[in-house]
Amino acid sequence: MKYILMMNATKEVFEWFSKWPKEDLQKNFAFMRNFSKELKDEGVFVATEGLAWPDQAVIVRAGSDGTPITDGVFPESKEFLAGYWIVDVEGPEAAYAIAARASAAPAPAGTEGTMPLEVRQIMSGPPDEFA
Amino acid sequence: MKFILMMGMKTDKESMSKGIMTWPKEDIQAHIGFMIGLNKELKEAGELVSAEGLAFPDEAKMVRAGKDGLPITDGIFPESKEFLIGYWIIDVESPERAYQVAARASAAPGPGGAPLNMPIEVRQVMSGPPEELQ
Repeated sequence: MKYILMMNATKEVFEWFSKWPKEDLQKNFAFMRNFSKELKDEGVFVATEGLAWPDQAVIVRAGSDGTPITDGVFPESKEFLAGYWIVDVEGPEAAYAIAARASAAPAPAGTEGTMPLEVRQIMSGPPDEFA
Repeated sequence: MKFILMMGMKTDKESMSKGIMTWPKEDIQAHIGFMIGLNKELKEAGELVSAEGLAFPDEAKMVRAGKDGLPITDGIFPESKEFLIGYWIIDVESPERAYQVAARASAAPGPGGAPLNMPIEVRQVMSGPPEELQ
């Protein structure tokens, strides 16, 4: 079963992250790199990606002639996807255990709590009756 | 350049009352048929990197590490939360091309076959952290 582990954050959190001291950022990135390597070694790794920052996010809709209409204004409450992992494991409990490992990624001294990850199964395709 | 095209959904009452599972079966089939066709075209154009659909938001869990490193799971989300429901990653020449593809997906057929013109969030996918921080 494939699961996606998503890091979501508001712009406020991205701004806080951008102010981390350089050595804290380096520790965090090193943890992330090593984490992906561990997942590969464990044979559960499918994919990981990091996205550009929210200031580059654009909402696109088709206009009445089908051409793109773009918009870059978002509500303050909007959570932006920062990055994700996809893992292939036996069941949800294994996916949650992996998410907890990512959740404990290092942050600057004094940071309260751990990082939340949203976990959901990836579907292999639409239900048979609709395919 | 790699871009991610994200489809979201909300789970408040109003959004759910118009959700795909409330559509007539043939409209759902037309919608899915359109998506399958779009993926095939992107693949043939050499632009498709990956495409995934996620389980419905009622299966979503928020996971954090507890003090002992064990997962603490929570399934309660704010009503305003937008859930990712599926995405494409495409490899194209420019953001403009990514926006064009997003507009195609945006116009996927909805009830009665009318274009949904749904919002698609587009952002570049990074190849890695900035060099000075590696």
